[in-house]
Amino acid sequence: MSGNAASILFALEKVTKTYGAITALDELSVCVPPGAIGLLGPNGSGKTTMIRTLLGLIPANGGSARVLGMDVRRRQLDIRRLIGFVPEDECLFPGVVGVEFVAYAGELVGMPARDAMQRAHEVLDYVGLTEVRYRQVESYSSGMKQRLKLAAAIIHDPKLLILDEPTNGMDPAGRKDMLALAHDLAHHKNMSLLFSSHLLPDVEAVCDHIIVLGAGQLLVQGNIRELKAVHPGSFEVRLKADGTSFSRQLTDLGCAVQRRGDMLLIQIPPGSTPAMLWQTAAAHQQQIRHLRPQRSTLEEVFLNAVERTSCPL
Amino acid sequence: MPIIDQGYQHWSGRLTGHRWRWLAITRHGVKIAMRSYFLRYVLLAAWVPALVLVTTLSAWGLLERKSKLARIFIQFMQFMNPGVVADPRRYGGAVWRLAYGYFFHVELFFAMILILIVGPGLISRDLRVNALPLYFSRPLRRIDYFLGKLGVVITFLGMVLIVPAVIAYIFGLLFSVDLTVVRDTFGLLIGAVAYGLLISVSAGMLILALSALGRNSRYVALLWLGLWFVSSVVSSVLTSVHHQQQRYAYHPPPTFPLATAHGPSGLSQPDALSSATHQHGVPTSHNWRALLSYTTNLSRVGAKLLGTNAAWKQISLLEPTASGRHRLLARFGGPWYPWYWSAIVLAGLLGLSLCVLNLSIRTLDRLK
Repeated sequence: MSGNAASILFALEKVTKTYGAITALDELSVCVPPGAIGLLGPNGSGKTTMIRTLLGLIPANGGSARVLGMDVRRRQLDIRRLIGFVPEDECLFPGVVGVEFVAYAGELVGMPARDAMQRAHEVLDYVGLTEVRYRQVESYSSGMKQRLKLAAAIIHDPKLLILDEPTNGMDPAGRKDMLALAHDLAHHKNMSLLFSSHLLPDVEAVCDHIIVLGAGQLLVQGNIRELKAVHPGSFEVRLKADGTSFSRQLTDLGCAVQRRGDMLLIQIPPGSTPAMLWQTAAAHQQQIRHLRPQRSTLEEVFLNAVERTSCPL
Repeated sequence: MPIIDQGYQHWSGRLTGHRWRWLAITRHGVKIAMRSYFLRYVLLAAWVPALVLVTTLSAWGLLERKSKLARIFIQFMQFMNPGVVADPRRYGGAVWRLAYGYFFHVELFFAMILILIVGPGLISRDLRVNALPLYFSRPLRRIDYFLGKLGVVITFLGMVLIVPAVIAYIFGLLFSVDLTVVRDTFGLLIGAVAYGLLISVSAGMLILALSALGRNSRYVALLWLGLWFVSSVVSSVLTSVHHQQQRYAYHPPPTFPLATAHGPSGLSQPDALSSATHQHGVPTSHNWRALLSYTTNLSRVGAKLLGTNAAWKQISLLEPTASGRHRLLARFGGPWYPWYWSAIVLAGLLGLSLCVLNLSIRTLDRLK
């Protein structure tokens, strides 16, 4: 594994995990810097298995993994002390009120009982459950339960917070709150974040970096801003009227023109400038209403990555 | 919005090590269980036999000292052989053993009730609300989880089995004539604590295994009742049938009116039965049917640890006739089959419980 340990959040080296005939992780190698990381991938791509491997909850069949500089096989308990995990499934400690739930989570990590109770009140304030802290957790709504699990995960101030599908089943307002909390923790509280989700806008709203998995392998990894970089020589154009003759003329001039809805995606020849678009429009008495350099959306990045490897969605 | 919104604050406290992490689960489990009023009443009721034990040992100490206060208690000891009361120092050890034996006999019932209240939900509720990911994503091993849950059972059973036994022993010492009683009874203290632990660990592991089998704690409670009641009833019925068969084999039903109430050996029917099951003054029945009852197995190992059968043998020597001795041992002593039979059964159940727990709670290593 290369790189400075301090600048690596976690690293997997040829990690393989199989469940009988099913290969969940197929010699997966990935090295991730600290920050807000989005974990994307179709169903069955190995996201949850990767998270469980990082937590040391499941033994890998092969390869090695390090989290926060520690070997997952040998120091899994030490790693879990530094990680907060919000599972995807609905799960609770039964028979307790909210503040006891969170305090108990702290005690299980090793916090003294008194500190855990004091801190439980603080984090419940932070996630917005102040008013319901003395209610039985079984009576909480789905959104409240997600925030409660988040409070339980951050009670010991972890260095890495793992959120597995945190907005599943939440209403729009609750989802917005959850994303705001995740963003705040990752960008203002110095906490690294691994955010696993199917919802690309959620990942885009919270994360700076993404990992895309498919069939247990790494498909794409990188900074979101870089992945969404401007395509050189490619433009989005929308005209006031039908642009058939305009398109034909541009094709004759050596451009690649593609229609997408009411928009034309135009790739101009090397050495040309966008001025040729204006000149052609003027020649055909067309009015350009919209012209901007083409950028990939996160959805395109994701779909391209998945299509390249023929992963079923 | 609160008036002073502090937002998120970092925490800079120290986390404790892994060694005692299971204690947090035990503490939490005890706290949750103690919210039940019914449990509190049962605990209070379970302390009544402990008071009786303390009173008995203290009264015997007074009797040994020939205290005037002892006269008050003598009137309550009419059921005892006069020879025992006449020489309290000689029979002190035996009386202590028998007092502990009766104490544990009653407390075993309360222990089963307490487990019925506390035990069924220990793991099944976690399974029902899917709490295992919350446990195992924290620095906990499976052994910590099991120890924590077992600790809940041991705490409650310890409160009614071990703690009263130790307190009663201290009171007994305080009221004794001299400290030589420590030499005579220290083994009993060790035996009582060991028996209390045996009940707690054995029953605790068993209820955890049952609790890990399902998500509905009511079904688990029914399973526990079945294990406790049904096994005892089946064992009692089979044992009764066996005794009947023995009685008929030795003394077949008469086909003509009996001229005398005595059997062919000249002994009365109870004496005849006694001599069939006892040899040389020591009962020798090897009736395996008692092994079917879970609580009888515990009692048999308990009798060995507490030495109650030996105490009965000592007291039976006060009986003037052999048949009297046999009757006393048959009526009060026992069970008489080898104690290690029961120990093997209990060890088997413990192994089975461990297997069930190991297979049922396998952290998160499975495909969703």
